[in-house]
Amino acid sequence: MENILSLLIFIPISSAILLFLLPLEVKYIRYASFIVTLFTTVLSLWMFHNFQVSANMQFIEEYAWIKEYGISYHVGIDGISLIIIMMTNLIMPLLYLSFWHLNRKGYWLNLLIVQGGLTGAALSLDLILFYLFWETMLLPIFFLIGLFGRENKNFMSMKFTLYTIFGSLLMLLAILYLGHAHHLQVGVWSFSITDLHLLSFDTQTSLLLFSAFIFAFSIKIPLFPFHTWLPQTYRAAPTGAIVIMSALMAKLGVYAIWRFVFTLFEELSFKSSYFFVLLGLFGMIYFGIAAIKQRELKKLFAYSSASHLSLVIMGIFAFNYYAHLGAFYMIASHALSSAALFMMLGMIYKRTQSLHISTLGGIVHQAPVFSVFFAFFALSIVGIPLTGGFVSELLLIVGAFKYNIILGFISATTLLIAILFVFNVMQKVLYGKIRLASFEDLRLYEFLSIIPLALLILAMGIFPSYFLQKLKPTAQQYIQKEVIHGQ
Amino acid sequence: MVSNDIIISLLIIGLGAVFMMLVAAFSKLSNLILSYITLLIISFAIYFQTSYLGELFALDIQAELFNHMLRFDSFASLFNIIFLVGAFLMIATARAFMHATKFFMAETFSLILFAIFSMMLLSMANELLTAFIALESASVAVYILVGINRYNVRASEALFKYLLLGSFSGAFFLLGIAFVYAQVGSTHLGAIHEYLSLHQDNELIIVGGILMMITVLFKISAVPFGAWTLDVYDGASLPITAFMAGTFKIAIFSVALRILLVDYQGLADFFRPLLIIAAVITIIGGSLLTLAQQNIKRMLAASSIVHSGYLLIALSATTAASTSAAPSIIFYLVAYFLSAIGAFGILSYISHWDTERTTYEDLKGFSHENPILAAMMSVFMLSFAGFPSTIGFLGKFYIFTSAIESGLMWLALLGVLAAFVSIYYYFKVIAMMYFYEQKQSYNLRFSFTPIVIAIVAIAVLWGGIGTGLVSFLPGANVIIETAQASISSLFL
Repeated sequence: MENILSLLIFIPISSAILLFLLPLEVKYIRYASFIVTLFTTVLSLWMFHNFQVSANMQFIEEYAWIKEYGISYHVGIDGISLIIIMMTNLIMPLLYLSFWHLNRKGYWLNLLIVQGGLTGAALSLDLILFYLFWETMLLPIFFLIGLFGRENKNFMSMKFTLYTIFGSLLMLLAILYLGHAHHLQVGVWSFSITDLHLLSFDTQTSLLLFSAFIFAFSIKIPLFPFHTWLPQTYRAAPTGAIVIMSALMAKLGVYAIWRFVFTLFEELSFKSSYFFVLLGLFGMIYFGIAAIKQRELKKLFAYSSASHLSLVIMGIFAFNYYAHLGAFYMIASHALSSAALFMMLGMIYKRTQSLHISTLGGIVHQAPVFSVFFAFFALSIVGIPLTGGFVSELLLIVGAFKYNIILGFISATTLLIAILFVFNVMQKVLYGKIRLASFEDLRLYEFLSIIPLALLILAMGIFPSYFLQKLKPTAQQYIQKEVIHGQ
Repeated sequence: MVSNDIIISLLIIGLGAVFMMLVAAFSKLSNLILSYITLLIISFAIYFQTSYLGELFALDIQAELFNHMLRFDSFASLFNIIFLVGAFLMIATARAFMHATKFFMAETFSLILFAIFSMMLLSMANELLTAFIALESASVAVYILVGINRYNVRASEALFKYLLLGSFSGAFFLLGIAFVYAQVGSTHLGAIHEYLSLHQDNELIIVGGILMMITVLFKISAVPFGAWTLDVYDGASLPITAFMAGTFKIAIFSVALRILLVDYQGLADFFRPLLIIAAVITIIGGSLLTLAQQNIKRMLAASSIVHSGYLLIALSATTAASTSAAPSIIFYLVAYFLSAIGAFGILSYISHWDTERTTYEDLKGFSHENPILAAMMSVFMLSFAGFPSTIGFLGKFYIFTSAIESGLMWLALLGVLAAFVSIYYYFKVIAMMYFYEQKQSYNLRFSFTPIVIAIVAIAVLWGGIGTGLVSFLPGANVIIETAQASISSLFL
């Protein structure tokens, strides 16, 4: 299975196109797409099993695409892209299960395309190829929000698209400049990161290029102050789109910073790390406080998600072993928790047509099983022991202390902000006065869609060493350099 | 092997045009049959033309007879194929439209063939007067085509607007030739280049060049010369608009490229700032104009101005010794023309008898009844917007890299910003088709047209992602390689 990565990318995309063209009933399209995602999940598990514990790129495929400009179809996988791929492939089939009741054809097809786009972006080692997938995965989100969203969905789908494309287009310009610089310095065009990271620039140029990349990725994550699209988009978007955006796309932004920004502008990343660690810390506190003030659950967890991603950013810019390991682990554990939480929010919305805290209450009396799971996932976001979140936060705090004692202290204490809003939500929504006439407990397919996530979160909390060993070599990548740069 | 029989496809089109005129006068064949005959004529011409594709050659056609006025090289050959395919696709996609309207007369086909004939001559012209005559005769055919809808006042208005302004601007070209002749003593393209390399004085050549540039800028509807574009594109019936936006514009670029690359490379430093200014105001003006449009046909017309702006970026890059700029222009023209043919083809397919459905309102909820047509329309819009995985993206990619390569970083940035703005107006069409409730029933009859459009849509996608892995199809890199070869044939 040499071309397993291509299979992971193109099976979903081509089946989406095929299913679009076939005049099938929605029911069969649902089955077919579910089977396709299950199949890619099996493939990805096979790959996980065969993944060698090392920092090298594996399963590499490289074919020339546009020779004249040195653009190639170049994909490969290492520890950090493995996380993104595994999360994508684990969450997608469960996401399908969680809204098995829906009978809209476009929903399933767009999700298939977004899966292919995400996988492709996480595996690309050629900048043009990466840009292609990075933009392609935006299109299904545009459609999902516009077709299945609510309230001012048309406006929001446009706003989200324009906002993110603006960042990407500046990045495109930077990519083109890099290719041109390679042409100037080496004599041939190339857009492969393995070639481009050898280039050298003067400070001003590299700062501009660095900013263009960071700008594009910060919008997607989102990093303060580029988060202004976040609350309204999450409010308007349907569950499927939110799960993708928060659990997978945002993580892909972090991944892209690691893969492209760190590789291409290594020195500048070290030099500016202090700024981004502070920005991450500030973002975590800022979004945390913003989350406390929210009364709409989707918005609240949108901010909570942004808050944790800022923490991840702090982790990867701290440039030490523990912080990196913690950041990777948090990418995985937070993807699982936030996917599960947003899926459950979708279930609440389906039952009540509202996600405002004031209209909800006392669910625990009406739906005990639902409440247990909701509480579990909410607490796993905070990082209670026995969950993956705990391990990752612990590692991140150790990393932060190693970076700077004061920052470590601040991050350790401010992590508690998350507890404030999570407990508030649990108190108001699960307990409190019964406000709903009835609240149906989990149905079988809903139960099936979240139980694997719960088990995996537990497994990540109880046996972290099994999962961490695959990541260790990648996290060690910058240890040597850390000494050289004197961080 | 290339020999003197290479003008055979030119002859086929020319004789075909005369033949169609006679048929129109003496027979009562239906539009349908006439369109088939025309398609057949064009396919013959394409067949003879493609046999030279991929070869690098240049020779003067019947040098004695025509006194080196016509030059057939890979450059002309590539452009001729584009014109022929453009006309073919235009007629093929307009079938439903012709069936529904009563103003598409037999003469229309003759005029289209005449226009194509003149454009082919234009791309082969190796001498300025020949270029002028070819340009004007192509324009005359297009003028009439614009006004072919006699029952519509707006079409007549468009015809007169275009005719008056077009002839006026054509005069500049002629005056420019006169100036060049006054200094060089010849209107042959090579002669100007030769003169510049031997002599210091070049004032009249510069003046002539500027005057010719005005005509070119007028014809490619650059701001501010392109004030006619909106009304003319809007007034003409949809297939004709597609023909103008796609094919005719390419013809203008073929002659502009030839004159600029062969003759005026010596004066590049003088013309670069002019072209840059033209590019900047065209892009900004075109974008603002497009944002204000409430009608998809007018929006596409206005956005064609922005696309001319992108092409002007590349044109200014050619003056800065960028080797990739000229091929990127050809690639972009192909990309734009495919998308334009497709988009206008869909609009003309959904026209309801002689009422064109071109407002944003008309497209609301279009996808519910016609999912596949809507998907194809989305593909064309994405390609216009330069979204990756379509041919439009690679077009922009080549243009922006050529701008960066020649040090015009700010121009590339402006192009990127314009591309960002264009996302808004193109995505608006997609949003209308998908995100709104259906307003009206379309009741489209299935015919040959959507199949042709589907082929164009696949070409647009394949042009963006095509690889060499599929051996029987040319990949995305083949077009740019052919374009490079055709540019180098100019200097043989």
